[in-house]
Amino acid sequence: MITLNEVNAGQKAIIADIKGDSRFLSRITSIGLTLGCEIKMLHNEKRFPLLLYSRDTVVALNRDESNDVLVEDII
Amino acid sequence: MSATRIKGPTIALLGQPNSGKSTLFNGLTGARQRVGNWPGKTVEKKEGHYDKNGVRYRVTDLPGTYSLSANSEEEIITRDYIASGKADVVCILVDASQLSRSLFMLADYAGIQCPAVLLLNLMDVAKEQGKEIDVEKLEEKLGVPVVPFVAADLSQYNAYYAAIEKVLNEKKMLNIDALTEKYSLIENGFYDKIFALMPEEGIDNYSPSWLATKLIENDSDVLTKIKGVLSDDKFQELDKLLSTVEKGALETAGCKFQWIDDLLRDTLIQKDKRPILSKFDRIATHRKWGKPLAILIILLGLIASFIPATPIMYLGSLIPMLGEPITNVMNAINAPPMLINLITQVVLNTLYFAISIIGFVFGVNLVFGYLEEVGYMARISYVFDGTMAKLGLQGKSIMPMIVSFGCTIGGAAGTRVIDSWGQKVLTIALAWVVPCAAMWAIIPVISTMFFGAWAPLIIVAIFIVAGFHMIITAKIFGPKLLREEDRAGLIMELPPYHKPKWSALFRSIWVRTRDILSRALRVIFVVSLVFWLLTYSTSGSPEETLLYRFGRAIEPVTMVFGLTWQTFLAYIAAMVSKEAALGVLGSLYLGAESLFSATVGSEGVVATGLSDVLLTSLSPSAALAFIFAVTFSPPCLMAITSTYQETRSLKWTLRILGYYVATSLLIAFLVFHISNLFF
Repeated sequence: MITLNEVNAGQKAIIADIKGDSRFLSRITSIGLTLGCEIKMLHNEKRFPLLLYSRDTVVALNRDESNDVLVEDII
Repeated sequence: MSATRIKGPTIALLGQPNSGKSTLFNGLTGARQRVGNWPGKTVEKKEGHYDKNGVRYRVTDLPGTYSLSANSEEEIITRDYIASGKADVVCILVDASQLSRSLFMLADYAGIQCPAVLLLNLMDVAKEQGKEIDVEKLEEKLGVPVVPFVAADLSQYNAYYAAIEKVLNEKKMLNIDALTEKYSLIENGFYDKIFALMPEEGIDNYSPSWLATKLIENDSDVLTKIKGVLSDDKFQELDKLLSTVEKGALETAGCKFQWIDDLLRDTLIQKDKRPILSKFDRIATHRKWGKPLAILIILLGLIASFIPATPIMYLGSLIPMLGEPITNVMNAINAPPMLINLITQVVLNTLYFAISIIGFVFGVNLVFGYLEEVGYMARISYVFDGTMAKLGLQGKSIMPMIVSFGCTIGGAAGTRVIDSWGQKVLTIALAWVVPCAAMWAIIPVISTMFFGAWAPLIIVAIFIVAGFHMIITAKIFGPKLLREEDRAGLIMELPPYHKPKWSALFRSIWVRTRDILSRALRVIFVVSLVFWLLTYSTSGSPEETLLYRFGRAIEPVTMVFGLTWQTFLAYIAAMVSKEAALGVLGSLYLGAESLFSATVGSEGVVATGLSDVLLTSLSPSAALAFIFAVTFSPPCLMAITSTYQETRSLKWTLRILGYYVATSLLIAFLVFHISNLFF
């Protein structure tokens, strides 16, 4: 498992675990990122939020918090 | 309109941001709406009504939230309103073009016992993406009416009206059996165990199932509610159970999305897929080109907003010309001169100012409302997130800041697109620092007058001070304004681009503009009246005015800040209108015109001979102190009014105003005493 930050642009991955308090968990799940859900990394540039695609939606995600999202099965 | 209208049902609109709630609300109620605050909160409350077949339907537009958890004031307000039973039917809006994610709101709502209708908005965008939705099958699975439509298109509202009638007659609730089955599968059977402890009747409209789910999600607000109704041993049992639940929100969210996936498996058909990021989006979100493109578009937007604004502002500027004919008529009927003066100065100028505000606010709202509507604002938010986060703001805040280089009124009006109240107020507070176009018309003039070729250095110094000012101001106001959820990092969707819906956009701006006009008229009239009284003299000479006497009397104090009584009065006038700084100096030194008309009518022109007088009567340090005091003073009466309009808080408007008066004097003080060491 690696963190979401380590997924390169163009790669796909499956969310395996999300850490953090319940506030963060409910925020991130309400935008569609849950366990087992597939994401596609669109942009992963330093000093910019991550940009990824999941559940029909383009989502921008802060880098610090992306460290709390663990993924596996990277293709 | 029939006179036999009966007081009818209340409809609540529920949906995630970008689901088109406001568009539907404006479409339904038109101008029949009121905007206020939820009691004791800074969250905007919008209520309105429409009449159909002799019945009056009341509509409440609930705050846009991503879920119904207890993460923010908005979310608690929203769910408690629905649970209170004040609404007879809840309309849940989802974005059909992002159905899977958007339906999360429905899943989070599931279990609240209030009749519901599901509105699939943005069907046109979904179709463009090659999506087809089997509405009948979805209806069958959910047990409530499902209406596919486009909220911006009034001609499609009949299906909505019919669904509302149906649900009001049949009182159909959402079928949640398939969802609770999923909950039952959560590890250790937590759901069933907790469900068994819930009060059978639920609490208000919250069903036992909804309450149990929220408890698994570690919702402290619900826990407090439950504590109030459970016996002590039952509560202890519950508490013990809950202490073993880990990351419950992940579990329940998983169930919700599985339920959504099941719902959509045979109801949503996706034909040809398009690339996720369009060509334009690849540039708009590019690490190098995203920011320049955003700034370019905002600057073009600023220029474009003058196109609708200019004719309106020009019309406004004609109003003071009515002064002469009115004076003639009133003289003919022997009206007292003071009354004539009051009408030609205060009343006409109030109208002039208010219409100027409207012109600019209309232009800015139209252009930037359009950028928000089509979805581009979210891209700006993405590329500027890192930069603005340092000030505690979201990326969108860059737009009002840039617009403020043109005009602070527009900057304040532009904060409309910022969804958090605290960040909106902080953005306005920081946008006041940004020197506006009027400032650029007077500062170089005065600087060159005193310092000749050194003037550009002063401009550089102003920029440096402005930078520090912003950082310090953000530090001072940030902690009071930003709530925990604002400080949390960015988690945001970039909505797909929508085609502009001009009629819907105009509807929302029209409602807004009317609201602003009435408020602006009141504020400007009162302030103008006070300023007029302070500057009134029977002969027209400044020496007879109260303001003059006041200025002379406190000169010993203002000299501490490096301001003579003349420059101090010009500084005061600059808070009404920046251009006034030069006009008032002209009036005071040369007696060219009355103080009031020098303040409201000045166009930033240097009166003949003014520079000679200024050079002989002001020391270079006093001139510098004046330049800095005026630059960092509150922008102008119209910007202050616009701030009041957007923040909806008199307390915060006055707080920001007071802060700027104090800091501009402090800066003048420092500049004066430091430069005294050199000159």
